[in-house]
Amino acid sequence: MKNVKRTVLMVISLLALFLFLTGCGNSNAASKKTLTFWYAGDGDTAVKPIIKKFTKETGISVKIQSIPWSQYNDKLLTAASSKNGPDVLLMGTTQMANFVSSKSLLDISKYVKNDKALNPNNFFSGSENTTKFSGKYYAVPWYVETRVLYYRKDILKSVGYDHAPRTWSELYEVASKLSKRGKNMYGFNVDGSEPTFGFMFARQNGAQLVKNGKTQFNSSEMVSSLEYLNKFIQNGVSPKQDQKLTIAQSFGGKAPIPMFISGPWMLSTIKEEAGLKDSQWAVAELPKGKANNMSVTGGGNIAVFQYSKNKTNAVKLLKFLSKRENQLTYYKNSNSMPTLKSAWTDSSLKSEKIQVFRKQLNNSEAMPALKQWEEIGQNYLKVWEPIALKNNNIKEAMDKFNKETQQLIDK
Amino acid sequence: MHSSFLKKIVPYTFVFPALLLLAIFSLIPIVIALLISFTGLDITGLGDWSQIKFIGFSNYLQLFQDSAFLQSIMNTVVYVLVGVPLVIVISLTIAILINSGRNGFFKMMRLVFYTPSITNTVAIAVVWTYLYNPSLGLFNTLLAKVGVGPIGWLTDPNVAKFSLIILAVWKAVGLNMLIFLAALQGVPRSLYEAAELDGANYWEQTRHITLPSLKFSIFFVTVTTLIGWFQFFDEPFIMTKGGPLNSTNSVALFVYQNGFQNSNFGYAAAGSFVMFVAIIVATLIQFKLQEKQRGE
Amino acid sequence: MDTGMQDISKTSKILVGIVLMILGFLMILPFLWMFLSSFKTSTEISLSQSFWPKHWTIDNYENLFTNGSFGIYIKNTLIITMASFIGLFLNAMAGYGFAKFDFKGRKFLFMAVLATMMIPGQVTMIPVYLILNQMQLTNTLLGIVLPGLVGAFGIFLFRQFMSNIPDSIVEAARLDGAGEWYIFFHLILPISKPVLAVQGILTFIGGWNAFLWPLIIANDQKYYTLSVGLQLLQGQHTSDYGLQMAGSSFMVIPIVIIFVIFQKYILQGFNIQMDK
Repeated sequence: MKNVKRTVLMVISLLALFLFLTGCGNSNAASKKTLTFWYAGDGDTAVKPIIKKFTKETGISVKIQSIPWSQYNDKLLTAASSKNGPDVLLMGTTQMANFVSSKSLLDISKYVKNDKALNPNNFFSGSENTTKFSGKYYAVPWYVETRVLYYRKDILKSVGYDHAPRTWSELYEVASKLSKRGKNMYGFNVDGSEPTFGFMFARQNGAQLVKNGKTQFNSSEMVSSLEYLNKFIQNGVSPKQDQKLTIAQSFGGKAPIPMFISGPWMLSTIKEEAGLKDSQWAVAELPKGKANNMSVTGGGNIAVFQYSKNKTNAVKLLKFLSKRENQLTYYKNSNSMPTLKSAWTDSSLKSEKIQVFRKQLNNSEAMPALKQWEEIGQNYLKVWEPIALKNNNIKEAMDKFNKETQQLIDK
Repeated sequence: MHSSFLKKIVPYTFVFPALLLLAIFSLIPIVIALLISFTGLDITGLGDWSQIKFIGFSNYLQLFQDSAFLQSIMNTVVYVLVGVPLVIVISLTIAILINSGRNGFFKMMRLVFYTPSITNTVAIAVVWTYLYNPSLGLFNTLLAKVGVGPIGWLTDPNVAKFSLIILAVWKAVGLNMLIFLAALQGVPRSLYEAAELDGANYWEQTRHITLPSLKFSIFFVTVTTLIGWFQFFDEPFIMTKGGPLNSTNSVALFVYQNGFQNSNFGYAAAGSFVMFVAIIVATLIQFKLQEKQRGE
Repeated sequence: MDTGMQDISKTSKILVGIVLMILGFLMILPFLWMFLSSFKTSTEISLSQSFWPKHWTIDNYENLFTNGSFGIYIKNTLIITMASFIGLFLNAMAGYGFAKFDFKGRKFLFMAVLATMMIPGQVTMIPVYLILNQMQLTNTLLGIVLPGLVGAFGIFLFRQFMSNIPDSIVEAARLDGAGEWYIFFHLILPISKPVLAVQGILTFIGGWNAFLWPLIIANDQKYYTLSVGLQLLQGQHTSDYGLQMAGSSFMVIPIVIIFVIFQKYILQGFNIQMDK
């Protein structure tokens, strides 16, 4: 009898806990008017002040949910599959194609066309292109990233150059000299872990990656640009593999790697971690290839979730975030650069290093907006690795890659 | 009649709650994943289920023509064959060593050997990346002093796999040592005393008393370690991303890359079921071996 | 209490101690590095590989506690950790059921339990989410707790250890007229102390570090746990090592305390001869 009593007691206490745990949730039902906004990273410092202003002006309350970058894609996938998600959300530019194809984002073309503030011409064309799919708009550009050349002024000077390389041939020449400084010293980093790196150089060489649904990865422009990059590696001007060095080890001190290409996030990392004086290093626009010096655009857009029950207010928030002053506040809080061209006249973006990014943005485009792009990039890295390590034939490798990529896109 | 029915039902009352939860949150999802493996589910289908196409065994056929997948299988076989015995032998040895004392020092050592399991992965990655660094790393610096090297711990395709195994064994020892320690408590002291009276030395006692008494826990550690190493993921994911030249890629990482990076959910699910079959076969062999042992 | 120990001479004990100390140092090195680095500035972590901080700073810890809502995160983490101990109990029950009863479908059901360990969580993540969504449990603490409540590893561990308990003990208790649940509570659980301790440590660590489900299930930051809060402080391209090390060092303190408390029970083995 005793054990029966005990079991009953246990069941009751388990039930009580169950009720307690469920009771804690589902408070959304009461607050349907509240917008939810998914933000990747820590939203408290970066966007909360802007959102507060929005609530004050419109009376619409907004709940921000910050989600770590590392899990943001997972979270978006669950939202796409369950159709249960936020009202407004931040979308990485590289995630756009995926979530447009899963029909998770609201077509906002009519607002973009009717609202002067959202006019595509207000934004950098590289950013705008990440929001447009078959002529329809699914997001508004919010912050922008582009790649530039980081270099050590003092070390370039020590081998006789008082400016950054401006062309491909100059880049190789300077890098080659820098690599002769000693053992384990290089001139430039050919990035083997960044999928867009080779494609970026190919575009500068006049290559088109995908033309009317046909892949162009074995074009002579593409192949010769990879040959150019491979020259750095085979001649010991660039490390063969990722050296897994911290920025202080690779760029600080004697700088085994005194030139590399990276995005704006590197500015603060170098400032905080490399232990360098501001005058020792600089950034420059990318060296020009045969065709141009086009960089890669990245960043984030603001979109409305297709299954939002509160689309009118969601669009209001989207418009509000796109305002010049709010993009500037966001820049001040998070160092993410504004996508509105007009914002760049503000005094907070006046510094010399920042303005290099402004100039580069005139010449910067995103990678092709295909839902398979992530896979194509990863596959490309696997093609590039044996080229760098074993000096494989580039033309053959790219012929094969081109064929496989075409199949992937057609599937 | 009534009481015999009650008797029959008793075992089920013990296992039912756990089984119910496992069924809802593990078994049903596995069945769903199995169904997905026969579809071409990608990101488009995820948002719009009417777009999902059944494609039969295409994913499976394609897998066995995918050189990256075949290589990840080969790598995983190496991981399992080298890693599993290493983990068992080392954690058992350490458990027996730690169990030879009861004072504060030996208590401390339990915690010390367990720390890799509770150290932040980023800290582990940073420290081991430094240890393995080709030019600045501690290992190569020490080797250079005796005139050996430099070894490309993570950059040489022939070495990288084994560097990851060292790291994974280092991480796995703590938990299994704890399990063995708990099991060692079940060995009655009287057995040792009797053996001592018979003149058995330390090694004989270990071989004839300690190890046989641990057979349940050795079996447990073998099966779970086997399953764990078949799913080897964290180390290549953090340290090498499967490179250089795919030499450290495991099946689990292959599944992750295809499923979560490339959104080919159908293909990734198929990959994980190929692995599933391999694990279940290996586990069943273990169970058969155990039964045979018991029968002897 | 005097079980599970061989007698060895004092000299070999010292030898064993020395071997353990050397190996132990290698094991604890990254842990120490994590702890010491939490007192370094980011510049120092990036710049030098030295072990000891050159300039001690507690900035990282200050940042940690002023950033984010750590009070709420701690509360959620504690609730989830406590709830996970119910899972520990369910695992023990199931382990006992599989170890000491012969019933129809036992082998098959046990293989089904093990099978759940063999599919990587990434593959089942979205199906689990959809199921919870159907059950209207998304954005509830229950939804966060349920998917990880019981686990094959725990059930298997209990089964193995309880198989070790001689059937004669259970039979004797039954002859004395004890009910099955009485036997479980008053006989089986007490002699399973060592394995309960091991599983208790694991359960605590699992609950304390809960990351994936709190993040996937919650549509509100008020359900976030400490691990999620820590991860939030990471940028897309950059990470603040100092802050991360401070966070991890802070998170590890309760684990060490629990470990020290529980490991006492790992020592208290059961003496089979004692009972009957």
